[in-house]
Amino acid sequence: MSKQRVRNKVTSNSSLGWISWIWIFKLTTVLLVLGVVALIYIDAQIRHRFEGHRWSLPAKVYARPLELFTGQQLAQGQLKFELTQLGYRWVTQAKAPGQVQKTNQGMIIYSRGFRFVGGDEQGHLVEVNLVGDKIVGLRQTSGASIAVLRLEPQLVGGIYPAHNEDRELIQLDDLPNGFIETLLAVEDRQYYAHYGVSPWGIMRAMWANIRAGAVVQGGSTLTQQLVKNFYLTDQQTLWRKLIEAPMALLLNIHYSKDEVLEVYLNEVFAGQSGKRAIHGFGLASRFYFGQPVSELKLHQVALLVGLVKGPSYYNPRRHPKRATNRRNLVLSVLAQQGLISETQKTNYQALPLDLTEAKQVSRYPAYMDLVRQQLKQHYQASSLSSHGLRIFTSLDPWVQQQADKAMLEQVGKLKQRYSNIEGLQGAAVVSHRDSGELLALVGDYNGGYAGHNWALDESRQVGSLLKPIVHLAALETGRYSPNSIIDDAPIALPQPDGSLWQPQNYDRKSHGKVPMYETLVKSYNQANVRLGLDVGVDKVLQQLQRMGVEQSIPAYPSVLLGAVEMSPLQVNQVYQTIASNGFYSPLSIVRQVTEANGRLLSNFPFAVRQVASNESIYMLQHEMRLVASQGTAKGVYRYLPKQQKVAAKTGTTNDQKDSWFAGFSGLHVATVWLGREDAKPTPLTGAGGALNVWGQLMQNLAYAHDEDIKPQTVAHYYLNRATGEAIPDKCPNGVWLPMLKTSAPSFNASCGY
Amino acid sequence: MYNNKTTAFKLGLLILLALLLGACAAPSYGPMVEDRSVQARPSERISATSSNTPVKVTDTPAASAPAITPKPQSDVPPTATITITAQPISKPIIAPPINQAAAAPLVQDKVQEKVKAPTLPASKQAVVEQLLADADQLKAQGKETQAVIQLQRAQRIAPRDPKVYARLAALQLSLGEAARAEQLALKGLTLVPNKKTYQYYFWKLIGASRSHLGDSEGEAKAIVESAKYK
Repeated sequence: MSKQRVRNKVTSNSSLGWISWIWIFKLTTVLLVLGVVALIYIDAQIRHRFEGHRWSLPAKVYARPLELFTGQQLAQGQLKFELTQLGYRWVTQAKAPGQVQKTNQGMIIYSRGFRFVGGDEQGHLVEVNLVGDKIVGLRQTSGASIAVLRLEPQLVGGIYPAHNEDRELIQLDDLPNGFIETLLAVEDRQYYAHYGVSPWGIMRAMWANIRAGAVVQGGSTLTQQLVKNFYLTDQQTLWRKLIEAPMALLLNIHYSKDEVLEVYLNEVFAGQSGKRAIHGFGLASRFYFGQPVSELKLHQVALLVGLVKGPSYYNPRRHPKRATNRRNLVLSVLAQQGLISETQKTNYQALPLDLTEAKQVSRYPAYMDLVRQQLKQHYQASSLSSHGLRIFTSLDPWVQQQADKAMLEQVGKLKQRYSNIEGLQGAAVVSHRDSGELLALVGDYNGGYAGHNWALDESRQVGSLLKPIVHLAALETGRYSPNSIIDDAPIALPQPDGSLWQPQNYDRKSHGKVPMYETLVKSYNQANVRLGLDVGVDKVLQQLQRMGVEQSIPAYPSVLLGAVEMSPLQVNQVYQTIASNGFYSPLSIVRQVTEANGRLLSNFPFAVRQVASNESIYMLQHEMRLVASQGTAKGVYRYLPKQQKVAAKTGTTNDQKDSWFAGFSGLHVATVWLGREDAKPTPLTGAGGALNVWGQLMQNLAYAHDEDIKPQTVAHYYLNRATGEAIPDKCPNGVWLPMLKTSAPSFNASCGY
Repeated sequence: MYNNKTTAFKLGLLILLALLLGACAAPSYGPMVEDRSVQARPSERISATSSNTPVKVTDTPAASAPAITPKPQSDVPPTATITITAQPISKPIIAPPINQAAAAPLVQDKVQEKVKAPTLPASKQAVVEQLLADADQLKAQGKETQAVIQLQRAQRIAPRDPKVYARLAALQLSLGEAARAEQLALKGLTLVPNKKTYQYYFWKLIGASRSHLGDSEGEAKAIVESAKYK
């Protein structure tokens, strides 16, 4: 139109001279050349973006996959929890991956399959028979046998680049039926016919807008929308307007319709989760429905497509009504265009939004903190946040959930009971007994994370938690057995500053001569100091360091009563070593790292180092079980059945600043710490505080009893507690204790009384 | 004059056309989602050249050069965390080319035939058997790391099954990780106090590992021990 006007003007003004025409010609040529240069520039830009480094893909962090097999003992409700977390849908008949069906004996699961390290796990239709929460049968419904079914691992977090864009790449083939049709029906009906821009579309949109008196339709093609998102900033500048159309044209010339569409599917902005920007339909599907996009039904597809117009305005979690209206409008469009019938439309419109619960950016902040720390040792930050690496961790979502819950509930109760505990904090660590894998980490009592991870970053005195190490060092000398008699008389030691150190028992009494095991069971301070001094403070410290404590600790006698600062993670490391029969293995977090395509980059192999003899550990574990069955830790049996074996120790520091509980049962080793943020005294002992968190946590974990394996060199003897002599087992008040056969006690047939 | 204008217009169109044609003639590029950013240009690769990276993976097909290789590391075990750094589980000081034929197979077959794993329920047993078989197959294909991964899976399912430790230890020894193998065998030993065949096997493994480590005194002890269970 403007050209026309110029020409009219030119012809009407005959006074314009010949020279002016030359100028106009020159100017036009210059402009054309500039335009051409601009086009070349734009063209280069387009291809650079398209071919080159298209997206920075955050590393994906996965939890451990749940393995199902006959004979496996799960915790109550665990399987259902895992399936829900993975976004499985409960249906009347499981017919597609991601579906689960209840049966009389258990459930039928149609698993999704997953690309694991070292091979793909196919999706299987499997019947799982349960008695209580134990799997008693597992078979494919086809009749084929299956020894073990590995569910896909839960995606638990990502390592994001600075711009916080997150996406999960998909291909056209990943889309469910009807997705493309719906998208094109709403956004760009002529997509496969136009040249990147659609004058007809613009005119139609303008007409619609004029009729409505407002902007109701955009004239942009999908190609233009992509150009806008992909190459241009969001600002409505003239330059942007000018180059949008040529860019779309060029894109259309260079690439096939399918290629452009695929990029659009992955680029489109679909919502915001905190700082994290949700891009692409692949991630959007996970984010809103907790399912892979391939599993979506048409009403879900309609919602996702509808969201494109305004992800925050139509945010289905915040504005469910708006979102429903939008979705139903999309479904109406499909019906209008004959893509679905009126009945289908009505049926789909009646369905709920089917959203999954909103998940935080990271539901496992403390654990993810540690994952990042470990990965930083092996990978550069940029490769973590941009190469789409897959990180397989040992995080156990069920254990983590139980740990978070136990911590929150028990700390809540304590705060209610003791109104004067201000700033009560807590941390918990749970690991797998024999593999040393870290399963869960609670870094803040309310599960959040405010920069200080109380399980990692906070070191406190450990108090009586150190006593088992004193006992271990004593047993390792070969001079002590659980029945050795120790004097619990008061003791005073000069300190380096000249003052006297006079540790006292918790009950401020002395208990005379007591068998060694009882000094642990009752946590007698005076007796343990005497024992430790006889063994040697340096020996005790060496034992501690072999079990994974690296910092140098000055060899003061007060160390024997736990005047050593350790983080809950470190404490768990030490107890892990006791639990895994004296074999130290560093608590591990990451199992494997692969590239996005599955190529294995790193495997973190299981390694152990024996740091205490089998015999000493066997005797120590026995002592620690007595602590739980009859000593300071017996409160755990308020939470656990009597037959569950627990070996544990309570810890309370001076003025009750710290309340500790550490121990193991079945497959799990756990450590709990409670204390005030400002490290001031609390009304809590180890048994009054941390024990409750530990007990509630263990209560909700699967317990499978493994018989202890007694070394050949050890035997159990029935002993007189006061004399340490072996006595006939019909004598009253005796105690069964394990001892080295080589230091077998003398026998007293008269009970010794 | 009007002609000038049209000429200019035509000229412009021609240039534009030439440009577009040029653009069309440019080498075509494949679809983009399949091969993406990880296959970065060489200059973008994350560098690592150290050969003694403990986490390096050697048994994947070497078809394409890795785009990402882990950062070089000291010989701290990769499982160590930041806050708790283990003292390195020591690497072989002397590393002669290991006699794999002597070290790896040992009495393994004998153990498999003679000893049934003691306490596992039949179904768990089936899972472990399958994973061990998978591991054997992977090892036979030269995919040792993949085999280790399968064995670790078995270890998590049956952490007290001596067979798993026997395989893990033998595999580590065949990989030249003798210190690791020795310790795994020691761990296995604690699980079989009354099972002679296993005790014999583990002591043999320990002896072979110590020999590899140049610990002749320790090796002699292991030989004496193994003789007790022959």
